[in-house]
Amino acid sequence: MSADVKLEDVWIRFGSFEAAKDVNIHIQEGEFFSFLGPSGCGKTTLLRAVSGFLEPSEGKVLIGGQDMAGIGPNKRPTALIFQNLALFPLMKVWENIAFPLEVRGVGKAERRKRADELLELIALPDQGDKMVNELSGGQKQRVAIARALAAEPDVLLLDEPLSALDLKLRQHMRTELRAIQQRVGITFIYITHDQGEALTMSDHVAVMSQGVIEQVADGNTIYDSPQTAFVASFVGENNHFQGKVTAADGDMVTVETPSGVLRGRNIERDGKPQLAAGDQALVFIRPESLRFVDGEKKRDNVLEATVERQEFEGNFWQVFLQVKDCPRVVSLSMVNDGSSVGHDVGAQVKIGCDAAHAVALPVGQMAAE
Amino acid sequence: MSTYWKDYFRRNGMALGLFVLLAVMVWMLVMIILPQLYMLDFSFRTNVPPPQWGTDTHTYTLEHYRYLLYGNVNATESFNYLDLGVFGRTIIAAVFVTFIDLCLCYPVAYYLAHVAKGGWGRLMVMSLIVPFWVNELLRAFAFKVMFGTGGVINDALMWLGILDQPYDFIRENVALYSGLSYAYILLMIFPIYNAVESLDRNQIEAARDMGAPWWRIHWRVVIPHAKPGITSGSTMVFMLTAGALAAPQILGGPSSLWFTQLVYKWFNNSANWARGSAYALVLLVACIVFVLLMMRIFKVKLGEIAR
Amino acid sequence: MTSDRIRKFFVLFFVCGFFLYLFGPLIIMGLTAFNSSAFPRVAPWECFTVEWFDVLSNDTRLLTGLRNSFLIGFGVVLFAVPLGLAGALMLTQVRERVRPWYYTIVISPILVPGVVLGISTLLFWDRIGVMFGASRDSLFYNGFFLTIIGQSTFIAAYTMLVFISRLQRFDSAQEEAALDLGATHVQTFRKILLPFLKPAIASAAVLAFLASFENYNTTVFTAISTSTLTTVLASKVRYGIDPSISALAVSIVVLTVLGAAIHEVFKRREEAEARQAGLVAAGVMERKSTQKQWFLEPALIMILLVFIAGLGTAFFAGTMGVEECKVAVREQKRIETQKRIEELQQRQQAERAAQQAAEEARRVERSQRTGTENFNSIFSSDNLQPQAGDTAPATPQSERAGTENFNSIFDTQNLQQQSGQQEEAPARTGTENFNSIFDTQNLQQQSGQSEGQSGGQSGQ
Ligand SMILES: Nc1ncnc2c1ncn2[C@@H]1O[C@H](COP(=O)(O)OP(=O)(O)OP(=O)(O)O)[C@@H](O)[C@H]1O
Ligand SMILES: [Mg+2]
Repeated sequence: MSADVKLEDVWIRFGSFEAAKDVNIHIQEGEFFSFLGPSGCGKTTLLRAVSGFLEPSEGKVLIGGQDMAGIGPNKRPTALIFQNLALFPLMKVWENIAFPLEVRGVGKAERRKRADELLELIALPDQGDKMVNELSGGQKQRVAIARALAAEPDVLLLDEPLSALDLKLRQHMRTELRAIQQRVGITFIYITHDQGEALTMSDHVAVMSQGVIEQVADGNTIYDSPQTAFVASFVGENNHFQGKVTAADGDMVTVETPSGVLRGRNIERDGKPQLAAGDQALVFIRPESLRFVDGEKKRDNVLEATVERQEFEGNFWQVFLQVKDCPRVVSLSMVNDGSSVGHDVGAQVKIGCDAAHAVALPVGQMAAE
Repeated sequence: MSTYWKDYFRRNGMALGLFVLLAVMVWMLVMIILPQLYMLDFSFRTNVPPPQWGTDTHTYTLEHYRYLLYGNVNATESFNYLDLGVFGRTIIAAVFVTFIDLCLCYPVAYYLAHVAKGGWGRLMVMSLIVPFWVNELLRAFAFKVMFGTGGVINDALMWLGILDQPYDFIRENVALYSGLSYAYILLMIFPIYNAVESLDRNQIEAARDMGAPWWRIHWRVVIPHAKPGITSGSTMVFMLTAGALAAPQILGGPSSLWFTQLVYKWFNNSANWARGSAYALVLLVACIVFVLLMMRIFKVKLGEIAR
Repeated sequence: MTSDRIRKFFVLFFVCGFFLYLFGPLIIMGLTAFNSSAFPRVAPWECFTVEWFDVLSNDTRLLTGLRNSFLIGFGVVLFAVPLGLAGALMLTQVRERVRPWYYTIVISPILVPGVVLGISTLLFWDRIGVMFGASRDSLFYNGFFLTIIGQSTFIAAYTMLVFISRLQRFDSAQEEAALDLGATHVQTFRKILLPFLKPAIASAAVLAFLASFENYNTTVFTAISTSTLTTVLASKVRYGIDPSISALAVSIVVLTVLGAAIHEVFKRREEAEARQAGLVAAGVMERKSTQKQWFLEPALIMILLVFIAGLGTAFFAGTMGVEECKVAVREQKRIETQKRIEELQQRQQAERAAQQAAEEARRVERSQRTGTENFNSIFSSDNLQPQAGDTAPATPQSERAGTENFNSIFDTQNLQQQSGQQEEAPARTGTENFNSIFDTQNLQQQSGQSEGQSGGQSGQ
């Protein structure tokens, strides 16, 4: 079984501190949903409100359409995988997995059978009689998942379960997790501050900052059409230029910045364009959208710059440039096709991009560098 | 119900939450606070036979405290020099014993923590606990055996020719003070040991490299670091020594009384419980004042003392 | 460098002295339990004996006290361990602002003098008893109940400290995980927290029992008419001094060492576990499934060996003619005393002869002198003379009444005087202020006493 999760006007306060501010989210049943945000933005807090360890100060949590107010964590159809896993060190692996059945009074033989099935599912057969401490990090991870699945939840909540693993294992576990989710078909709510994780695995991503949901969308949309300055700066690399909107026509705007006139897309929020003529705006251009302008080809946005530094990253080059009247270093990335960048350090160049690849957004809070 | 309690029961569940709450309440109120308060009240009342307790004849009075200060109404002395003297002697002797223990323990603790490393050092630390397994009364008894007229000490001293007749260590309170120093010495050495041990050896090396003499290293580096341990040890030793009953009863000379013995006397021999309570309260207050003083002087918290 | 070496030597000397101070008294007391001398002493070692343990096992008052102490100890364990656990669980949950107050209150019984706790418990429950109109033999006046309550007041604080230190290592996410997986709060407590706390519970129980068992200050007030081991012991030690108390000490030490060894087992296991968990978490090492208590095992084996060896020796010594040895010692003592007396007498006689000779010579001299007889130098043979006269009336010079206070202990006159008395009344208790260890009178008297006493003891 699977269920949808709905947060309606949820506020969570610790004393005077607001850890979640007016959160409204609808997570569809059976989907893989991620919360993405910097450390301390309130992701864990929201998850704890869903699993029942704390009641929202205001608002409602609905699971499967049912209001969860006053229902304790042990009565909710959710299972949470903790940031530190919280496996029971004094129990064997299979006892850990069978714990949800044990507390329901399932007989021992039946418990063992079910635990073995789940061990099969997580590709750890015959490891049931080990102690938890005898497992590797990735194995522990999978045991935690199996234990949560043994509770047969409608919604599985995962709080940065991969953060303790090394890069290789993390990448492996991503695909594994996604595969498990597709096999069991229940709703996964996944927390991470790693954007790669969020973008690759999820059906939908919610980007959070300081207790506020900035945007909810699928990975592509988040990356290509960020709705706020925070999302644009937090997800992926981005260059930005500040200026004043001189014209707003249809879904495009023209912004006059000290470095030059830039055109970009006027991103809608709640169905309305956000910028009008006269507004202060930020124009975001991703490094991979920037190109060197060699004269013959025409670009919408062209900037004069000096090459400051070049870094070779294997599959691409990273070029850092000083743009005229822009206080920040601008970066440009080029796919490594065997040739060199073509411009030496100190060279005067022109760079530019198409208007479709530039995003204009209202000035707002940015992610910390 | 406030959100705090709602939260509390959400966290602990009803049954467990109630048990914990009830147990803590019983312990705090019924066992700690109320008895002390009742004793306080009781010490301010007249000494009437038990059946009349709580009746009209059981009135408030300051007589017991007055007695401690001035003695009997028709006494010839202006102050109760006897009891006040006992009180003063107890406090001074407890301070003295604490100081002796400190002087004995600090070098040993330092030695065990930083000089005697490895298996031997560990064994020595382990063996420090052994005397603590022996009953306080028996530890006092051991000293009585040692210091008695036919005891080992006298025998040895006379054999060495230092004494030519047995010395009455008991009468002169030598046995008492050694016994008291001995009784609680472990409560001094362990806190200091723990504190000194946590000191980074490199700090000492660094100080030595700079040419500091050994006593300055101790004064400026080791002792400041061990301060919480020293305070904790001193406080515990002082409290236990001032409140000791067994050792003074067993080792005290015929003329010397410990303040707890006066309390005991009022309860058991004189059946004046009210006065006994008053005396006990004076002892309690003295101890509290001492702890507060230590906390103030050495700027440590209670949590660091009672560990 | 030499000053450095001197300092090192000095420190070592100090540390050795410290350990001697720590263990000396206990060892000596332990030894006295096996000496047949009626006074607990080691110096004149008489016979190895276990009779004091016999005396002990026939002391009904003590046995009753021991039984009561055991009962009270178990009561305290049942009471103080849950209280301490509750107190520790509460500590993390009280509001930040009240936490220091809460901690101060629950920790205060450790710092309050034991007598104060005893008195306040006694008074308070008496008052409650009166309030409920309870009779004198109800719970409120029961020594067991009061002692258990009174001791638990502070022992619960000890156990609380044990639990606090264990709980600090508890990952409370485990509790939440259990709840989240559908366990009730009680199930979570039973299946997650209790197993985790098991070593702490065991060590708190041992600690509580030992603390209760050896408590005196509180018990002496709350026990009322109930006798416990410590109250019986206290009255025994206060009013007499006899080796059966040493025997009791030895027994208790052996038992406590065993108890403490068990306590240590739990503590070490817990520590090793924690250490290993830390290492595993840090990725330093893989967990070994068969962990060995390398340090503990030899220690335990040692303790057991010593224990068995002690029992064995005691058994053989008990069966191997203690009585003969005692008789031999008595005989030996008698002979020695006799010899010493004879020796002294001989010496005195010789001296007396020499003195008389000198006296003759001096009398001649003195007849020429006009000096008064009030001459007080201790080196004056005049002084010696009249006393010799006292004891030996046969000497003609008895003109002077010898009122001189003469105190030299090496004075042969004194010796003579006493040996004279001894001949007259050997059983007399000497009231003289005479304290020389070479005094035969003293020796004899004491051996007489010990004979009398040991006779009485073996008669039991
Ligand atoms: N019980 C609490 N009392 C007070 N403040 C809290 C409490 N729990 C969380 N907070 C605060 O709420 C904010 C959000 O915390 P939360 O644990 O949800 O962050 P997070 O997004 O999960 O961060 P991370 O990625 O580091 O896990 C933090 O500023 C934290 O200090
Ligand atoms: Mg978190």
